[in-house]
Amino acid sequence: MDKMIFLLSEGIKNLWRHKFTAFTAIFSAFLTLAVAGSLIIISQNTSKVIEYLRDKYKIEVFFKDGVKDERVVELVKEFKKINGVRSTTMITKADAEKIFKSQFGENILDIVGYNPLPASCVVNVVRQRVTKLNVNPIISRIKSYPEVDEVIYQGRLITLIESYYQKFVKGMSAVLILVLVISVFIISNTVRLTIYAKKELIQALQLIGATRLFVKAPFIIEGVIHGLIGALLAAGLLIGALEFSSDIIYSVTKLKVHYDPIVLIGILMSISVLISFLGSSRAISRFLK
Amino acid sequence: MIQLDNVSYSYGKGGGVSNVNLSIADDEFAFLIGPTGSGKTTIMRLVYMELMPQVGKVVVDKFHSDKIKQRKIPYLRRKIGMVFQDYHLLNDRNLFENTALPLHVVGRDQEEIVDRVTESLEEVGLDGKEDHFPQELSGGEQQRACVARALVKDPDIILADEPTGNLDPVTSFELIKLLEEINREGTTILMASHNYNLIKGRGHRIIEIENGSVRQS
Repeated sequence: MDKMIFLLSEGIKNLWRHKFTAFTAIFSAFLTLAVAGSLIIISQNTSKVIEYLRDKYKIEVFFKDGVKDERVVELVKEFKKINGVRSTTMITKADAEKIFKSQFGENILDIVGYNPLPASCVVNVVRQRVTKLNVNPIISRIKSYPEVDEVIYQGRLITLIESYYQKFVKGMSAVLILVLVISVFIISNTVRLTIYAKKELIQALQLIGATRLFVKAPFIIEGVIHGLIGALLAAGLLIGALEFSSDIIYSVTKLKVHYDPIVLIGILMSISVLISFLGSSRAISRFLK
Repeated sequence: MIQLDNVSYSYGKGGGVSNVNLSIADDEFAFLIGPTGSGKTTIMRLVYMELMPQVGKVVVDKFHSDKIKQRKIPYLRRKIGMVFQDYHLLNDRNLFENTALPLHVVGRDQEEIVDRVTESLEEVGLDGKEDHFPQELSGGEQQRACVARALVKDPDIILADEPTGNLDPVTSFELIKLLEEINREGTTILMASHNYNLIKGRGHRIIEIENGSVRQS
């Protein structure tokens, strides 16, 4: 316990002893985390847009004439079980007649003397998934039923939206990983400056019998504190900027920016702990080799 | 007990020691004497296993250089107090903090740290200077601070590598007297020096080293 208190206090004192390197490390963590935070907010909001678009995907299934309503009910239940299907809405011949009347103001029975409108159903696909939504297997399954006469869907549009979304997700992930890797190197190099400034202490500790972990711990604690301060500053900047600009963004794009400040702070702090831990561990481990 | 069996160590660009056989008993006070570059520091570094012999083996207490794992070396060093010519004190810490460092390493509680540091500083005659920083102390005081830091963890062995190298003759004699007192309390001492006049006639074994080879008297 006393050892832990000593290591923690050494880590905190180091912040003050090396003000310049502390400032550099905090600033680089702040910049990286501000970029990472922006990417996360953009990704979250893009996924909201894709959810909205997926909500509009509609597969219309028309059944052959003569298929009984009971069978239609069974088929619609089976469609709902298909992987990728969120919900189904059944439209019987009677429902179709009512829809025709509401849309055209006339009763189809009065026009043609019988109801030629087929029973049908609307299939809605899932909204929340990061991976590409491929509707073709759903269409093939539905078409495999002999009772199905025709399937209508916006195939080209769905494929286009999904492939662009996938490119966007991959691009964002690559940029985010790149930013984080760069930040680990920046933090590692900044911590190295501190380590060189404390070369004498490290040598003294090694000579008096300190274990590797004991020598490493204050530098790692110091690095993590740099990261956490950087994360709080980055979160403050992003939240401030979003609060200030959300009305402007809405008035121009009619899009409301979605984000949860607590979640954002939590994510940035977690990332900061991870990158600063990796960066400072790398620096001190290389020095002790 | 310190034992070097047929130990050789060579630096890439020359220097080092060759075929050294040496044994220092528990509670002994021995001097290692030789000119600069003769291999005294190499022997010290081999004893606290900063260097590992290329030939032969070093045994310190239960630690054998041919068997010890890297992660166990700190535990050997906890049994050894080290005193250097250039002190190796930390300038950003006061005397109390410098002396307390070895106790923090082994996880002693604060109360014990205060007691042990006070006791060690009294023993070397630096009581009352706890708040002074190294640069505020004279050379002799800095070297005594170094001895206090070595002493605070109650070591089995003290290795003193040219501890009088930066001190005037009077202060040097005082330091040797201090080390002799510590030795009388049961600590093995191996002290390296190039100054024969300083150590002759003190009744301790003198181990001569020249060009990396040992000649015992």
